[in-house]
Amino acid sequence: MPVVLWSLRRVAAALVTLIGVSVLIFASVRLMPGDYTDLVLGPLASEEQRARAVAASGLDAPIVEQYFRWLFGVFTGDLGFSFVSNVSVSDEFAARLPVTATIAIVTILATLLIGIPLGFASALRSEGSAGAAGRLVSALGISIPEFLLAGVVVFAVSTLGLGLSVGRHAAFADDPGRFVGSLVLPIAVLSVGCVAVVARNTRDAVMNVLVEPHVQAAVARGETPGFIVRHHVLRNAAAPILTVVGSLIAVLLGGTVIVEFVFNVPGMGSYLQTALGRRDYAIIQAAVMLAAAVFIITSLLVDLVANALDPRLRLTGRSRR
Amino acid sequence: MLRAARAGAAIVAVAALALTGCAAGADSSSPPVSQAEAAPGFLAVADESFDSGGELVVQVDYDTAEASGLDPQGAATARSWMIEGLSYETLTTIDEDLAVAPSLATSWETPSDTEYVFTLADDAVFSNGRAMTADDVVGSLQRLLDNPTTWTGQLGPVASVEKTGDLEVTVTLSEPYAPFLAALANTPAAVLPMAEIEAGEVDITQQMLGTGPLVATAHRQDEEWTFEPNEHHPDAGSLGFSSLRIDIVGDEATRAAGLRDGSADFAVLNSADSAELLSNAADVTVAGQKNTDYHYLMINSVSGDEALQDEAVRFAINSAIDRDAINELAFGGSTGASGITPAGLPDSCAPDGLPSATSDAADAKAVIDEIGGLELDLLVYTDEPVLAQIAQVMLQNLAEIGVTVSIEQLDYATYSDRVYGDPSDFDLALSWFAGYADPAMVTTWWNPGVAGFSSVYMSGSDELNELIAAGYTTEPGDERAGVFSELCALADEQSEMIPLVLRPSTIAWNTASVSPTLTTDEGYGDFLRHITEFRAG
Repeated sequence: MPVVLWSLRRVAAALVTLIGVSVLIFASVRLMPGDYTDLVLGPLASEEQRARAVAASGLDAPIVEQYFRWLFGVFTGDLGFSFVSNVSVSDEFAARLPVTATIAIVTILATLLIGIPLGFASALRSEGSAGAAGRLVSALGISIPEFLLAGVVVFAVSTLGLGLSVGRHAAFADDPGRFVGSLVLPIAVLSVGCVAVVARNTRDAVMNVLVEPHVQAAVARGETPGFIVRHHVLRNAAAPILTVVGSLIAVLLGGTVIVEFVFNVPGMGSYLQTALGRRDYAIIQAAVMLAAAVFIITSLLVDLVANALDPRLRLTGRSRR
Repeated sequence: MLRAARAGAAIVAVAALALTGCAAGADSSSPPVSQAEAAPGFLAVADESFDSGGELVVQVDYDTAEASGLDPQGAATARSWMIEGLSYETLTTIDEDLAVAPSLATSWETPSDTEYVFTLADDAVFSNGRAMTADDVVGSLQRLLDNPTTWTGQLGPVASVEKTGDLEVTVTLSEPYAPFLAALANTPAAVLPMAEIEAGEVDITQQMLGTGPLVATAHRQDEEWTFEPNEHHPDAGSLGFSSLRIDIVGDEATRAAGLRDGSADFAVLNSADSAELLSNAADVTVAGQKNTDYHYLMINSVSGDEALQDEAVRFAINSAIDRDAINELAFGGSTGASGITPAGLPDSCAPDGLPSATSDAADAKAVIDEIGGLELDLLVYTDEPVLAQIAQVMLQNLAEIGVTVSIEQLDYATYSDRVYGDPSDFDLALSWFAGYADPAMVTTWWNPGVAGFSSVYMSGSDELNELIAAGYTTEPGDERAGVFSELCALADEQSEMIPLVLRPSTIAWNTASVSPTLTTDEGYGDFLRHITEFRAG
């Protein structure tokens, strides 16, 4: 019963956070300097043109009314229309989300498949070549900003050929080969940082567990390294690793904006980036809200799973309150 | 751990240097952007024997984005003019000498200096198959006058537009207006299918339906356009490509990469430095197309630093700016100074004869010394990196006369808010004006009463406004050149908006996949003006 109560409390907190975030997003988007009408109409436009554009986009209504209209729309699946293209934001999301989701999911998978084994190897053989390789990859990956790596990759690929081209995306249904080909480089660039972070944190988590008394006792009992890892290390190191993987979602949301722009991939990131430049409010609000929702829900799921794996965390949380 | 990190950083640095070195090292002595002419007035002339019939892929940096959608009359940016100009045609056009030339109007007469009688082409057909009529021309111009947009003001004092024959339209002005024919040559003055618009059969904000050579068959905002030939266009049979795709690619390096790896045939670049990036790319030509557009400096005499209300201080700043240094350092020598009438257009003033160009730097320093020095902010926006380069040159120029400048690089929305908001919040700001195809057109913006947007940071003067009006009403020739000379000098002395240098376009194409026709000069930013002559294999 305490587990259920705790979970319900976390869900309620997530919902309240979402509502709070919606207010923050709406307010901060409207507080950004520069106005959509100024940008789209340009400084040469007349007052009449401006008034027409403001009325057409519903920006002449009181701000509170605009907020509640937007919030109602979000809950009913109507994310509004782009002020620039007049295209439904929901329709654009439907076309772009699969692209970004593919990038994010494959990146996470690559991160898990490479980062966790690398972290374990680095921790278990901290003085050997695997440990050195792990440390090198981590240091490199964490040090190189995505925009720099993406720029170098674009230049290298276009100069050296390699059978890949930059900026030739196609929908999966139209050309599966080109769809996959256009995502290889963005995923590779994004994965570098994610693998590095996960490998580094896995290494730290494993090394922390390895020095705990019960592991030392297992070593003293003569248990084999494989047995120790399976029975004593994996479960205890899982929670911090899971938390890091969960937080990578936020890193990915930022990273996709950069790689989609640089590699000209029509996903959510490039859509948001263009909308920000034009102060296309409906798109910005919807995209940021979606990102916040993904992050909050992921955090919630990570918390729930981590607590299932390690009940001590729940007790720690209660004692803090 | 630290050793590993250092080793990794070293590997990356070496790799990056090796890669960039490959790009820059090919021929450092060659001019960064070619301005050599293939024929008089042309940077390139399409080769008739070049393979044709393939898809032509053009990459540009941003898409159309107008509150009026695809309605050409509301098009306010050069990019919209260019893209919509593929599907729409105008009564007049401009040729390689930036002179007005026939288009949908095959000829015209001017019985008086306020009357224009146009004879219309008899083979112009909208892409839906209906022949263009005189009613379409009358209705289009009248619609532009009745629903004022930015371009309406450029048409001048139109008193009436009448159909005076099956293929004849007469426009009467209320007073002489020299730029009228040039104003008709730009996309916002396009001839629309008025019968369909008035019947509600076509939403012209959502669908392009013109007499132009191409028809837009698909568009995804900020992603791409697809155009197919308009089978009713007189040039349809001789088009040198099967379809045109315009990809919107925001990142400059990605566009350069597209040219290298063959995913783009033709691309517009923002920076002259891109030529260096492409210098080792086989089959890629980078050319600089001159424009009548020019960069200018705004000095906020209304709500900026109090000292800027003094004309002598503003003029001192103006005269300290070294246009030659801007040209060399920011544009690699590919441009030149301009007055408020764009250099290169007929009757335009000579920038080297302006008061600021001939003044003594010591006098400028004395003015600033007298007020005990000056600290100013200078705003630029990041979308156009060359602005920051210009700002850096100006920072050094102004330091020499005792003005300390702090450069603020902002995204365009923030910049726009600071510069055009009321009250405006800046001391100095850099931007550019479209120079159009007649020297009188852009001078309008020096009259805050007409321009509107400039009234928050400049005062103007009645004397200047009178000269601007005189520029409009005086026929081309020596007399008009005299007016412009006086106008440029007065604006230069008042130093509220200071023209700097012309703003060229950097264009690149893959010579293995496309043979384009490009004029050396362009007045409306339309680098695809001769698209019907392009050939793509």
